[in-house]
Amino acid sequence: MATRHLIKRAKYKTTAKGSGIPGVLEMTKNKIAFKPNDPTSVTMINVDFRSIKGHKNTKEGSSNPPLINLVLDQGGSYIFEFENFSDLQVCREFVVNSLAKSGEGLIATSDKPVVASHDEQLSTAEMELRMKLLQENSELQKLHKQFVLGNILTESEFWATRKKLLDGDSSQKSKQRIGFKSSMILDTLPLHDARTNKLTFNLTQETKYQIFALKPAVQQAFLNLVPNKMTEKDFWTKYCRAELLHYKRNAMAAAAEAAEDEDLVIFLKDDDILASEARRKIRRVDPTLDIEADQGDDYMHLPDHGIFRDGSKEITESQHELYRRTFLQDLNRQGEVVLEGRTIDVELDNPTNVAEALAQSRQESDATAKEERLYRTSRMTEMEDLQAPHDHPFTPLCIKDPRDYFDSQQANALKTYDDTRAGTEQLSCSLNSEEAYGFLRRSISEIEAMGLSAHMVRPEVALTVINGLTQNISSTKYQLGKNVHESVLDGLPNTTKEELLHYWTSIQELLRHFWSSYPITTSYLYAKTEGSHVKNLSAAGGNKGIGSLRAPPAGFSPCSSYASGSRCCFSTLRVGSAKENGKGWRETKWICLGGVY
Amino acid sequence: MKFQIEDVTVYFPYDHIYPEQYAYMLELKRALDAKGHCLLEMPTGTGKTIALLSLITSYVLSKPHNPVKLIYCTRTVHEMEKTLAELNLLHNYQTTHLGDRAKILAVGLSSRKNLCVNPRVLAAENRDSVDAGCRRLTASWVRAAAAANPNVPTCEFFEEYERAGSSAVLPPGVYTLQDLRAYGKKKGWCPYFLARHMVQFANVVVYSYQYLLDPKVAGIISKEMQRESVVVFDEAHNIDNVCIEALSVSVRRQTLEGARRNLNKMRQEIEKFKATDAGRLRAEYNRLVEGLAQRGNLALTDTWLSNPALPDDILKEAVPGNIRRAEHFVHVLRRLVQYLEGRLETENVEKEGPVAFVSSLNTHAGIDQKTLKFCYDRLHSLMLTLEITDTDEFLHIQTICDFATLVGTYTRGFSIIIEPFDERMPHIPDPVLQLSCHDASLAIKPVFDRFQSVVITSGTLSPIDLYPRLLNFHPVVSRSFKMSLTRDCICPMVLTRGSDQLPVSTKFDMRSDKGVVRNYGRLLVEMASIVPDGIVCFFVSYSYMDGIVNSWNENGLLKDIMQHKLVFIETQDVVETTLALDNYRKACDCGRGAIFFSVARGKVAEGIDFDRHYGRLVIMFGVPFQYTLSKILLARLEYLRDTFQIKEGDFLTFDALRQAAQCVGRVIRSKADYGMMIFADKRYSRHDKRSKLPGWILSHLRDSHLNLSTDMALHIAREFLRKMAQPYDKAGGSSSKTLLSQEDVEKMSDGNFNEMLY
Repeated sequence: MATRHLIKRAKYKTTAKGSGIPGVLEMTKNKIAFKPNDPTSVTMINVDFRSIKGHKNTKEGSSNPPLINLVLDQGGSYIFEFENFSDLQVCREFVVNSLAKSGEGLIATSDKPVVASHDEQLSTAEMELRMKLLQENSELQKLHKQFVLGNILTESEFWATRKKLLDGDSSQKSKQRIGFKSSMILDTLPLHDARTNKLTFNLTQETKYQIFALKPAVQQAFLNLVPNKMTEKDFWTKYCRAELLHYKRNAMAAAAEAAEDEDLVIFLKDDDILASEARRKIRRVDPTLDIEADQGDDYMHLPDHGIFRDGSKEITESQHELYRRTFLQDLNRQGEVVLEGRTIDVELDNPTNVAEALAQSRQESDATAKEERLYRTSRMTEMEDLQAPHDHPFTPLCIKDPRDYFDSQQANALKTYDDTRAGTEQLSCSLNSEEAYGFLRRSISEIEAMGLSAHMVRPEVALTVINGLTQNISSTKYQLGKNVHESVLDGLPNTTKEELLHYWTSIQELLRHFWSSYPITTSYLYAKTEGSHVKNLSAAGGNKGIGSLRAPPAGFSPCSSYASGSRCCFSTLRVGSAKENGKGWRETKWICLGGVY
Repeated sequence: MKFQIEDVTVYFPYDHIYPEQYAYMLELKRALDAKGHCLLEMPTGTGKTIALLSLITSYVLSKPHNPVKLIYCTRTVHEMEKTLAELNLLHNYQTTHLGDRAKILAVGLSSRKNLCVNPRVLAAENRDSVDAGCRRLTASWVRAAAAANPNVPTCEFFEEYERAGSSAVLPPGVYTLQDLRAYGKKKGWCPYFLARHMVQFANVVVYSYQYLLDPKVAGIISKEMQRESVVVFDEAHNIDNVCIEALSVSVRRQTLEGARRNLNKMRQEIEKFKATDAGRLRAEYNRLVEGLAQRGNLALTDTWLSNPALPDDILKEAVPGNIRRAEHFVHVLRRLVQYLEGRLETENVEKEGPVAFVSSLNTHAGIDQKTLKFCYDRLHSLMLTLEITDTDEFLHIQTICDFATLVGTYTRGFSIIIEPFDERMPHIPDPVLQLSCHDASLAIKPVFDRFQSVVITSGTLSPIDLYPRLLNFHPVVSRSFKMSLTRDCICPMVLTRGSDQLPVSTKFDMRSDKGVVRNYGRLLVEMASIVPDGIVCFFVSYSYMDGIVNSWNENGLLKDIMQHKLVFIETQDVVETTLALDNYRKACDCGRGAIFFSVARGKVAEGIDFDRHYGRLVIMFGVPFQYTLSKILLARLEYLRDTFQIKEGDFLTFDALRQAAQCVGRVIRSKADYGMMIFADKRYSRHDKRSKLPGWILSHLRDSHLNLSTDMALHIAREFLRKMAQPYDKAGGSSSKTLLSQEDVEKMSDGNFNEMLY
């Protein structure tokens, strides 16, 4: 188990800046005590861990000296300065564990995983996220319980290897905006009740925003008119009246109304802002679809040249053209807005804010790469299948049947596995009953001779067994579809299998931490690999894990455990050690083996 | 890759080639050897353009003693851009393999509106005001005035270009409009005049049809092209319509009012000149007596749209005496306008031939045929004399003179139709007098006569024997190519019934039926839910599209459609349509998926590609027949029947089906691409309609796909899409090669070509 007792030289300080009083800091399971070197000094601290609420410490590598700040429940704090950062780390670890334990004591009965509130300075949001992750993933919860609450890993270490989980989730929350619906324009249109012949306009904050986005002129008018000239309510009433005229599709009536009410004109006539924007955009359009340029080149259709009335050209009443906006135009506009997506990040409560933000974003959004456009056109002109494919930075995914893919992956894994153990398993499987009996007898006689020692099964053998069993877990566990190749694991009873899987994940977790400490660049990392972890590993594996293998369950042939080859375990280790050189490799093997046993 | 076609070494910029492309090049090469015209139909999506460009450039390279110029005509500016981009690819390939020997000059030419870089001129909104704005700064008299008075504004780009003189040339390379503008800006030279100058020297010129077909434009731009040129009309299935439009004029009330204003203005100008500078008018008179309608060598900037009649028909003789004097001419025009105003005041539709019209004009207004014929040139001369720069103001009188010249020149192939109102809106009086050309061969005849090889090519030229008749020429090669597909990557279907098994059609009596509208809507909703990325829908007309979208909105179908994809729509406003297209592509690129509603015969159907993920499905709602009550169409049909013995019904079906085929053909770009085509109208299942579709569509139209209902089509679509998502062997199976490598092509030149192909 982890150190129960810790003594370090440290300086006690009242403020972070002061010189402090040198002395010895002693921490035990429940208490922190500080004895100054100068026996005459009155500063003597002896507090219970339970009265400590949290701690802060300086980060390694920062310019500050290694300080730890223990915050008291009742207010106030103790600050200690250590001689070096490794001392600080050790102490911090200790404090964290002790605090966790005292915290656990407080809510000991609670089954919920406790995410220590006293680790670093976590925001509540992050805490909640971690809690959520643990609740959602029982496996993770088990691991967390075992390692963090079992004082093998610190909270931060545990989560450090799962940054992706944390990041992925938080980024999803903050960065992704919900776009517009493809049919958003229909929300802004009035509903028509044919029975009562009533039109209902339904204006919510969201629809107001959509109206502003669709019609910059309305938004501009809103900024100009509200609240100086009219109230917001009047504004929307007027807007609805204009829409009503529109709905009736009576250009004449619209013109008449517009002549009476100058404010109404804004809603009825074409949107100038859109028109000017269109002129600007048309210059950036892909030249291969620029119909407008075509018109500029067409001398055939000079006014009154060519064929005027052959039915192909459409007829419009040129009068009141100004007040004719078609639904089709609106649809095109909505498509554009939907593609642009939400450009603002404002609460929709206040239409004025929304209008202002929109106006601003419109000014900003004016940058498109011409190069990208050119690239697109040049790619467009090429005929793809006549040409050798462009070098893609990726291999094209080609899965006809997902099962084929995963089976092939597994076959690959099995192949490498076979290579490493060089067919020893086959040998072990072909043991006949006599040989098995011989093994059994030999082990019985061994036990008779030596007594039932702690290590009933030799460590190497146990290791081989667990490796042999868990070798394919990574592929089989996440297998889609049925596994065709029955693994040894499937022959085990469910409880044993689950237990085994759990130990396997535990060991994987520890190994991950172990290997993530390489290359050992700092003394802290050295301590981490050298000290606690290796011991922890044995704590985790040795105490229970391997122990449970001592009594092989029914149907499990002990013979196979004799299959020689600790090499099997290397293949697991190798995962993390790809970059290590030969020497380091040998060392780590030792540490690992020594660790487990 | 590099290979031999007979005695020509072809440099082709890709590693592989389709057998169709090889065959296409072979036919084209034979036509070039024979120095004759040819007609080639090749399915869309088999790389026509690049095959054509590489053959012709390679042809020139292997026969250096016989430099052939390529004049490549596209229908639209964006197609011009695409062609130049492909040419650029080819040019890069050829120069890396051959070095400087392969260097060519290729220029795209467009109007001032698309080429001008002077911000003051460009500020003008439409094409005519840009032209006038340019003239205001660059006309020879303006520049002469500026030389005397530095306060007169001129165009710095043009001045710089003039100063550079003969050293103002484009270095070899491929210039798109964008490149021309950039080069002009860099050098400070006017790109428009530079390009027009360089057209004479360029090896490849890419411009729009009308620069060759419309005598008004061709007269100034294409006058000096040498006979040893290969003229290519790409996407030429509509070429007959372009030809007849080039020679048609219509006169409305607004035109006549405008013309009156123009005449008043001219009168004032004449009075002013009489008082200040009478010598100038006298000089003009003397010149006209000598018989020079045009003033010899005009300064480049003074040229204006030239005579609307074809070059062969323009008289090279003295202007008749009665219009030599400026005020007399204005007076004649006044009488003409007055006569036309009288004719517009009619209650009934009138139709007569040019001869009858001219004789009635002669009796009522005393203007004879020869005077009419000279109207345009006389006007042109007068405007130069009066130093009128704002030509955009004088378009109306110009239209009247165009009309007069055409009606005075041609006695057959035209008719004059006066309609008091539009059939579809009888309550709104809008009289119009139209001079409409019926004979497409008139406008294109000078092109066939002038150039040694004219290539007419498109994805839809079926039936291929009709075009030589319509255009009145004799091709040395006329061939339609099939498409060899590696897999069935196109899936045409004919949908005749909706999900309720009731027939769907846009026939006149059915199109507004609620059930049909709903069935069309359901079809689109269902398809939108299973087809990835882009869907394109074509409707028969704008008004039909407008109506159907509004009714879909009312019955909630539009909402269902929009739940799956964004909706973009072609409108009559080109700017808006362009932006909608741009957004449509964005939506397809980003994976959201979109539907584009478009109109057959519209601008989008004419030249925008919906290849790859931009179009996985095209739905053609209805059969895009022309408006059959149109008087002009009836007159044209009558003419076709009498002169070419083409039956009305046949021509109408042919025209509708080529439009439909054109619409659906836009989905395929290459053999690696795939797309579905749904013809949603019960009339497509009839053999007489269907058989007019091009062969490459017909060959993939299975019998079981001829009479589908919505749910069956849905099932087929699902199966098809699943099949297309599988990986496949690009080179095709062992039985027939659909993609040839260098070796295959070399093997083929041993003579077993046809064996390989089929």
